[in-house]
Amino acid sequence: MEILASLTVGLLFAIGVYQLLRRNVIRSVIGLVILANAVNLFLLSTGAYASDAAAYTTAAGTRSDALPQALILTAIVISMGGTAFVLAMLYVVSARYKTADLDELDGLKN
Amino acid sequence: MGMNSLFDSYLVVLPILIPLTGAMVALLLRRQPRVQAGWALGTMVTSLAASTWLLLVVARSGQAQVLQSGGWAAPFGITLVGDMLAAVFVVMTQLVMVCGLWYAIGSKDKVVTYPTFFTLFLTLATGLTGAFLTGDLFNMYVFAELLVISGTVLTAVSDDRFGTEAAQKYFYISLLASFFMLLSVGSLYAGYGTLNMADLSVRIGADGTQLLLWPAIAFLFATFMIKSAVFPFHFWQPDFHTAAPTAVSAMLSSVVVKLGVYGFLRMTTLLFVAQSGPLRAILLVLGVIGVIFGGLSAIGTHNVKRMLAYSTLAQVGFILVAIAWGTPLALGTAVVFSFNHSVIKAAMLMLAGYVASHASVKSASFAVVTGVGRRLPLAGAFFFVGSLALAGIPPTNGFVSKMMLFSSGLGAQGYWALLTIGLASLFTLLYTMRAFQRIWWMQPGGGITTKASGDVLWAPGLLMVLIVLLGVWAEPLVQVAMQTSTWLGDPQLYIRAVLGG
Repeated sequence: MEILASLTVGLLFAIGVYQLLRRNVIRSVIGLVILANAVNLFLLSTGAYASDAAAYTTAAGTRSDALPQALILTAIVISMGGTAFVLAMLYVVSARYKTADLDELDGLKN
Repeated sequence: MGMNSLFDSYLVVLPILIPLTGAMVALLLRRQPRVQAGWALGTMVTSLAASTWLLLVVARSGQAQVLQSGGWAAPFGITLVGDMLAAVFVVMTQLVMVCGLWYAIGSKDKVVTYPTFFTLFLTLATGLTGAFLTGDLFNMYVFAELLVISGTVLTAVSDDRFGTEAAQKYFYISLLASFFMLLSVGSLYAGYGTLNMADLSVRIGADGTQLLLWPAIAFLFATFMIKSAVFPFHFWQPDFHTAAPTAVSAMLSSVVVKLGVYGFLRMTTLLFVAQSGPLRAILLVLGVIGVIFGGLSAIGTHNVKRMLAYSTLAQVGFILVAIAWGTPLALGTAVVFSFNHSVIKAAMLMLAGYVASHASVKSASFAVVTGVGRRLPLAGAFFFVGSLALAGIPPTNGFVSKMMLFSSGLGAQGYWALLTIGLASLFTLLYTMRAFQRIWWMQPGGGITTKASGDVLWAPGLLMVLIVLLGVWAEPLVQVAMQTSTWLGDPQLYIRAVLGG
């Protein structure tokens, strides 16, 4: 289970970074979202060392640490707000420059 | 528990709670702009009073003010810790924020009239204060996010037409910083099972062999590099600080960049004491590069605000070098330098904005503001004193910072770094004097006229008084800083205050 989680985190990071570096604004935002999910999965795997046991069970036995799940919940909420805000900003900027190419949003260069 | 001690134990939460509550109430007052502005300023002044009180209590008693929120004993709950370092940085932040709000109220910027401007300004203060006062790494991430989002929104709606573009750039890099911080949090939690900074310090001190320790250090280091715009993560900073509304950019370039400085201090003196050797070596190199690169770039700019933003890069470099030396005097210097730079840089950016508001087009570019200052003599005098302070010439507080930096460099025998940054600090005089000359001495080109009305000069005036006052009567600040340095030299003081025993 840990191997699977690790591989998935690595794969998500690779996809996320690749998408983030694309020139299309929408793709770059998708990259950010994938990266956020990769980070969340990484946080989850730090607390899932009791394999795939649930975070809380009333029955005696192994249980996972619940704290990483609380951390992820917070991180999800924050990154959702962040994503919405980034999309709004990109909408304004790309409407102003009439392009969805990040390389052409270069008003600051001059 | 008597009334007094009950109040004392909640003292540490007041500098967070007051601006947060104030922000919510300000939202309700959005239909009465004047009331809202007054309310925001009143809130910030009250909060400054509370944080000053906190600093006095901590400095007098020599005890950190600790609040275990929800009554959960550390390390299980979130702990708020007001030790000397946190208290000094909070006072610094809120003092500058009061001036920022005051400037905003007297500002002609359209952005100030937006219904949520003051709310966001107060949440910016809340985020920064909370990040300083929290004793929990994840909680610091949450407060840093609040800070980033407030700052980005304030810049995105700036009067400057490039505001949104700069804000978007900053937000991307900030999201990456958040990811880095979360990765660091996860790595530390996997290795040590705690996120309480005091508890982490104990556990890392006992076992420095965990597999994920160094990745965690690297990610946290990168996070604070982005927060403080340290070379090579500086590229967003000049754009962002130039495009922000004046009142906001004066905050961003002065106190907000100090979050990274605070982080580096905590990393080297609390969290990773045994691992701090390589960290200090890297900080030294980055600091020296920052001083040279920031100075040279500031000379090459054609916009006053941008020049001052690059100057921040250089000034933060000086602070990093002091942290890298790490002797008691050098750590005290880092605190004094941070405090003084915040006051100076906020004042200078406000003056740049003041001049820009009197120009024909609202811009701080040299092409527009050349000669505009000829009818603004008082601002010119202020800018001149500010330039002296930035370059470290008496009788200003900048001189105190520089003198402490040089004597701590001699003490730490960091001769090469000292020589390099000593020479590079001459750049400061070069670029500030060039700006002064262009704005206040040169004849304006054709068609440039000074507008009669513009922003108000009270807030930078107050900061100027502080610059001179902290220059001729430096003792209280230096004493507080040296007391802070004693705390930083002994992490057990922080640990005992949080964990007891």
